[in-house]
Amino acid sequence: MTRIKLNVDGVRYDDDVEPRTLLVQHLRDRIGKVGTVVGCDTSNCGACTVLLDGVSVKSCSVLAVQADGKAVTTIEGLAEPGGALHPVQRAFHERHALQCGYCTPGMIMASVSLLADNPDPTDAEIREGLEGNLCRCTGYQNIVRAVHDAAAAMADGGGAAPPQVPAQAAPEQREVAV
Amino acid sequence: MAQRAGGDDSEFTRRAADGGSAPSRREDARLVRGAGCFVADLLPEDCLEVVFVSSPVAHGEMGAVDVDDARRMPGVAAVWSAADLPAVPQTPPMLGITASAGRAWPALAVDRVRYVGQPVAIVLAADRYVAEDARDAVRLDISPLPVLLDPTDAAGSEVELFLGMPNVAVEKEYGDPIDPAVWRDAAVVVEGNYRQQLLAHTSMEARAILIRPEDDDGLTVWCSHQAPHRLRGDLAAALGLPEERIRVVVPDVGGAFGGKSETYPEYLAVAVAARRLGRTVRWVEDRAEALTGPPHGRGQNQRTRMAADADGRILAYELTIDADVGGYPHLGAFVPLNTSVMAAGAYQIPRVHVQTRCVVTNTAPTSPYRGAGRPEAATAIERTVDTLARRLGMDPAKLRQRNFIRPDALPYRTPTGFQYDSGDYPAALALAMRTVDYDGWRAQQAQRRRTGTGAPLGIGICSYLERSGNAWEFGSVEACPDGTYLALSGCCSTGQGHETSFPQVVASVLGVEPELIRLVEADTAIVPRGIGSYSSRSMQTGGAALHRAAGALMEQARGRAAESWAVPIEEVTYRAGTVSAGQRRVSLADLAAATGPLRADEVFEPPQAAPYGTYIAVVEVEPELGTVSVLRLVAVDDYGVVINHVIVRGQSYGSIAQGLGQALYEQVRYDPDGVPETRSLLDYLIPTLSEVPPVTLREMCTPNPNTALGAKGAGEAGCIGAPAAVINAVVDALDLDDPSAIQMPLTPFACWQARQPALAGAGR
Ligand code: FES
Ligand code: FES
Repeated sequence: MTRIKLNVDGVRYDDDVEPRTLLVQHLRDRIGKVGTVVGCDTSNCGACTVLLDGVSVKSCSVLAVQADGKAVTTIEGLAEPGGALHPVQRAFHERHALQCGYCTPGMIMASVSLLADNPDPTDAEIREGLEGNLCRCTGYQNIVRAVHDAAAAMADGGGAAPPQVPAQAAPEQREVAV
Repeated sequence: MAQRAGGDDSEFTRRAADGGSAPSRREDARLVRGAGCFVADLLPEDCLEVVFVSSPVAHGEMGAVDVDDARRMPGVAAVWSAADLPAVPQTPPMLGITASAGRAWPALAVDRVRYVGQPVAIVLAADRYVAEDARDAVRLDISPLPVLLDPTDAAGSEVELFLGMPNVAVEKEYGDPIDPAVWRDAAVVVEGNYRQQLLAHTSMEARAILIRPEDDDGLTVWCSHQAPHRLRGDLAAALGLPEERIRVVVPDVGGAFGGKSETYPEYLAVAVAARRLGRTVRWVEDRAEALTGPPHGRGQNQRTRMAADADGRILAYELTIDADVGGYPHLGAFVPLNTSVMAAGAYQIPRVHVQTRCVVTNTAPTSPYRGAGRPEAATAIERTVDTLARRLGMDPAKLRQRNFIRPDALPYRTPTGFQYDSGDYPAALALAMRTVDYDGWRAQQAQRRRTGTGAPLGIGICSYLERSGNAWEFGSVEACPDGTYLALSGCCSTGQGHETSFPQVVASVLGVEPELIRLVEADTAIVPRGIGSYSSRSMQTGGAALHRAAGALMEQARGRAAESWAVPIEEVTYRAGTVSAGQRRVSLADLAAATGPLRADEVFEPPQAAPYGTYIAVVEVEPELGTVSVLRLVAVDDYGVVINHVIVRGQSYGSIAQGLGQALYEQVRYDPDGVPETRSLLDYLIPTLSEVPPVTLREMCTPNPNTALGAKGAGEAGCIGAPAAVINAVVDALDLDDPSAIQMPLTPFACWQARQPALAGAGR
């Protein structure tokens, strides 16, 4: 067991982890950030994408211990619960860029990262930039449109600021209850 | 646990940006925030995680399963093989198919294994990592037997996959055998051999189930599924429990595409474990397991024969299918029958004969996969029609126009016994041709061929016809005292947006805002009956049931008001959530508050519908490498009345991407020993963002004549129309004389190999 410190969506977590624990499992099983999902666990699908110190990573390809001392932003930290959506989230909704929504957390986080690097991407740059994120439902057409819309909204000052995170958010627990 | 209904977050009720009057999706409110709730996201107290020990051998005789070391590992709660269970439940036959009699699929393998991946033992531990360690400590002793991987080979093999039983599990014939004289006397006869490769559904969320035993010896089941009531019935039958003791809840589902409509052995094993241990138990399939299957989709060997006169009038069509149903005949055995019934496509063909065999093999069992038999039918006939056009030297569009069933001949009954309802097949082709600029591309192709410049260019058409919806569905609408309405449906959304589109249907009947209507589905404790979502049936059948229920609620309200006001019902009128007679007027909410529940339940069973359309693809084949580029893809679809255009268009895009996946990239591959080679998303290639070309969608609308709502099935057409359009375009580009020389997926190597001269010489 190794003790690691993580800042996840603005909240500090200190935990003992096994060396083999993947970051995505640590986020989900220990911290309760189940908004970040697993689509393959072999770093091929991008469903588990989060930002690690602001840079997008597939959290199934990072060990929890490798993230020690770093800040993780997940889909759950992109907008405050019940608060205004991040422009990328809003654009995904408005452009109908999701159906089942399973790829969506990763797709949105990868898009946030893409736009941070390239605020005004071309079609081809979006396609290339998000190539590592698979979606089986949408056929991607509306995802490309959504990223363009988000780029335009952010250029208009609609949220170019770094993602806000709640100051004191307790990890949300989802219980099985009837 | 959260119900799926919800999403009254005001920013989600605004109009969609993408045009149309369709309200945008309510379910997005949670999904874009990462607040969706999939089975793996549930955080139950004290839950055991399951990992299965599965067969590494495709066909073999089982010896003892040694679980002793695994059981002794710290943190392991139980490890059981079939030998440890007092009784091994078997998956109940699906849809009453008799093929499974004597070929039952057990929860854990007994005596024999019949495909790689078949569950042999179940491991339960508090933590998945521990369970995986224990799995690796289980020792199997399996003596390999001969392996059969191809349905045609298996049908003719001496090797019996089920002792004393034929490998052909179902054999069916549709239409009458065609008189040999027809073939002998016809001006032209063409033949083809086509392979429908095995596919992996690859919903981004794989299979998942969580079961909690209850005090009354019952079970609560959370499952990523398409048909909760069917799952409940199957579990009850397999476990010998009354249905009322089982509650099935389907939370958010990360895609299904036909692969989550059945009851798998793993589910039964999880249920047995939960009951024996009295603990909550969860199984979440990983990607390697999902790709290994079950389920697989498609898997047919097809032979076609078509006769025509010299003018191109089709005289006869014959289709022979050997379908791979995998190690155990399950819902996959139903799929080829769908292919058979709709074999004739959109054409008026006087003689149609189909012979189908569903054959057990040592691949993973098959199931419906988006399209479910329809793409197989469309590809067979559309490739054959193109071959006929080449043989006749006739433009393939003209040949189709000559043979379409005319609109005034509808409704039309095919020689295979399926009734087409309504439509205008020639108009769909004409619209697709105009949209893509068919003549322009043909001119360009002619020029390239003449001058020998540019990459080989091909234009491919698929005029498909599908068969949507079946059986009944339940719908109910209740006026609540708080002014809202509660709609219940037996359908089960797996990404299709029912929470948005079903309230639209109800609202349109009641004349109230859709925001006032809340949908609940996918919980057998709340929805009394239901079938589920597959076969593009949700709107066509489930939406139509809600449409009727809303109408019945209005009638009920009028009747109730008439009674309490003591006036004849004819004097009571309904308008926008209120009933009135003369000066008297009351809202449904107040009426319900004053007089008791106002609720109308409907069970509606409209006939199947026949959506149709035409897809045209324009492709270039890179001369050196054989790489196919899709330059244009135009899709014209007629789904009848569309309730939410944004959602339906979204599904068209997604379905087309899956169709392109089948045409160009995807294939489940086995080595000669029956071991799957495609075990990760690096080996099994689904289209990524860079591969999907821009697509142009066009809609036509011929209402479903058999329901007041008028909707036909939507959502699967892309998988049906796109593959044949792309293949026909590639065959056209390569100018292949033998259409059977190329099979899906049209990888660069397959294209390069099919006709090197065409590629080498650019053009012809
Ligand atoms: S789950 Fe991490 S890339 Fe697929
Ligand atoms: S929306 Fe279902 S996988 Fe992307």
